[in-house]
Amino acid sequence: ADTRDAAQARVRSAPAPVTDVARLCVCDLLVAQCDVNCCCDPDCSAEDFSLFTACSVPVVTGDSQLCSQKAAVYSLDVEANPPERIFKIIDQVNPSIFCIHATNYEQALYLKSPEIPTPENFDQLLDKFGGATFSTEPDSWNLDTDAQNPPDANETSRYEYGLPVQTEDAFLRLPSPVVSSWCSDANPAGFLVNQATKCIRSVSVEKCDSIQALSMLFYINSSILAVPKSSQMVNITVQSIAVQSLNGMRTLLSSSDVLRLPMVLDEVCINAVLGVNYHITHTDTGEIIEAAAAFVLGAISKEALSIEQSFEISFTQENTQPVALSGNPGYVVGLPVRAGFQPQGYPFLAAFLSNKHSQLTILQSTSTQDCLAAQGARAPVLFGYNMISGCKLRITAAMKCQPLAQTLLDVLKGQSFPEYVASFGNSQAQDVLDWVPITQLHISEQIISHTLQSSCQIPVSLGIEVKWTKYGSLVNPQARIVNVTATITTSTLKQPPSGRERIIPIMSSVVFTDISSPAEPSYKAWPTINIKLPFDFFYPFV
Amino acid sequence: SSQLSSLPLQILLYVNGIYYVFYFLATLAMIIYKSQVFSYPDDLLAPDLAVLFLMAILEVPRLYLGFKGNLTEAEAPLGLSLGLTVGSVVLCVYLLLWQTYVLWADVLLNALLLSAYGLESGLKVTAIAAFVS
Repeated sequence: ADTRDAAQARVRSAPAPVTDVARLCVCDLLVAQCDVNCCCDPDCSAEDFSLFTACSVPVVTGDSQLCSQKAAVYSLDVEANPPERIFKIIDQVNPSIFCIHATNYEQALYLKSPEIPTPENFDQLLDKFGGATFSTEPDSWNLDTDAQNPPDANETSRYEYGLPVQTEDAFLRLPSPVVSSWCSDANPAGFLVNQATKCIRSVSVEKCDSIQALSMLFYINSSILAVPKSSQMVNITVQSIAVQSLNGMRTLLSSSDVLRLPMVLDEVCINAVLGVNYHITHTDTGEIIEAAAAFVLGAISKEALSIEQSFEISFTQENTQPVALSGNPGYVVGLPVRAGFQPQGYPFLAAFLSNKHSQLTILQSTSTQDCLAAQGARAPVLFGYNMISGCKLRITAAMKCQPLAQTLLDVLKGQSFPEYVASFGNSQAQDVLDWVPITQLHISEQIISHTLQSSCQIPVSLGIEVKWTKYGSLVNPQARIVNVTATITTSTLKQPPSGRERIIPIMSSVVFTDISSPAEPSYKAWPTINIKLPFDFFYPFV
Repeated sequence: SSQLSSLPLQILLYVNGIYYVFYFLATLAMIIYKSQVFSYPDDLLAPDLAVLFLMAILEVPRLYLGFKGNLTEAEAPLGLSLGLTVGSVVLCVYLLLWQTYVLWADVLLNALLLSAYGLESGLKVTAIAAFVS
């Protein structure tokens, strides 16, 4: 016990600072090895010194403000053969009249020794230094404070991008995985930051009605502040509730105003929250006016030790349709190409309908590679990504050409092939000039031996070529789509003899071509010297 | 001679008064300089400033009593002034030795003041002796 106490006592105090200038060496970094060009290193021998070129640390002194102090001076005598190190201790004098003659305050000239944590002062040290920022007052941003203490002192009276959405007790939580996949409830939702997270929560069916994170109330009971630090509250309404059964089938409930809390029924916990989808509506001045949450409630069986919860939040400006931008303003590589239709009957006031169903898509190859069993799987066209996909068409003798041609056209182009493509990533639907029409071309592959034009043609490939250019300034060029051409190649259907079948490949591809012209530098006009003689300069001769 | 007042004492008191004004301003300025340039926590700055101001408060009656005593050839004010001088000497020694930072200029000013006090005390003692007898 005695040695343990002694050891504890040793640990509790930091090692005493070295103040003797003869023993201080700042460049001695390697332990038990000689540092190169370090003349004060005690691990160096005379042979090592003879190899040095210069002394990296020529003088070691204490605070230079002192009137007189000892200084260790290291230098290399290069004249001698071999070169040797010269070590001198001299008295350095500060001639200024304001030099420090004496000081009665020990810590004035040395760095403060940090407090060693002990069981007694640990809590106080943790309060002071445990957060992300050090503060002398315990005014830190944590969940336990009752009053709202936002860290930003000069906050404006509106939400800005990225600011945590505040509720009456803390902030709107979007549980998300931190470090591991387990849910952490401390992730705040940032204003205008659309997020979707999935995380795992540990559950037990017996205690499922006491686990807060499984109940709907946990997610909607605190109201959101309309503006930061105000008293205007916005209640979170329940937009819809979908109930998921144990086998994964989801049903949308017709009435969503009844709060369904988790309870245990026949060893199965029902009404447990499996997913929350927040929709926040805001004004263009950064004020939140509406908040709605759509829930997915599910059942947890007895054997389940953990469930996966998914959370999503999206922000919409009031009176606008939520449209995901693909760039601002130029297209960003990897984001979907925005496309739309022009509603019929409005030739002048043309606004484009653009939603998820009118995206520019191409056929997605499936594992079965059968065109007719394609099940409508389509992949969105992402800007900058050339894609090629295809399927195999099995033609039997019994197939009729016209319906087959129509089916293949649907397979290639999809259900709603758009007519216009947005020129910029952030083109608004009302700006007609920002939308580029898709040019449709038909090329028919003629086989010379069958020259009859009237024979039936089936489309065999769709090629979309997107021509884009760099637009704007040279240092930050924005991608702008200039031209989109969709080319359908058709060829004559050659029916196989009955009983046999033929397989022909059907292809669709998207190619992005950069047609930007080289940048033209433009220079400022040369400054002109505007010298004009005064009107009456040559008076009286003129 | 019938005049018992000590002329050297009078001169010294007069010069002391002028020098003290300079001393006070210089020491105050140096404390402000030290608090900006060095690390000077508040609980060490307060005693130093208190001592300086206390010394200034003591100096006024001390000099007045010295003048009065010497000119009226009365030993009571002069004795009181001597007592106050002892207090001023103690404070001056504090500022010379036990200040938080003692600069070289501090040493010079305080040493000069201490020598003036010492000389003054000697002259006051002889003047009291002359007045009593």
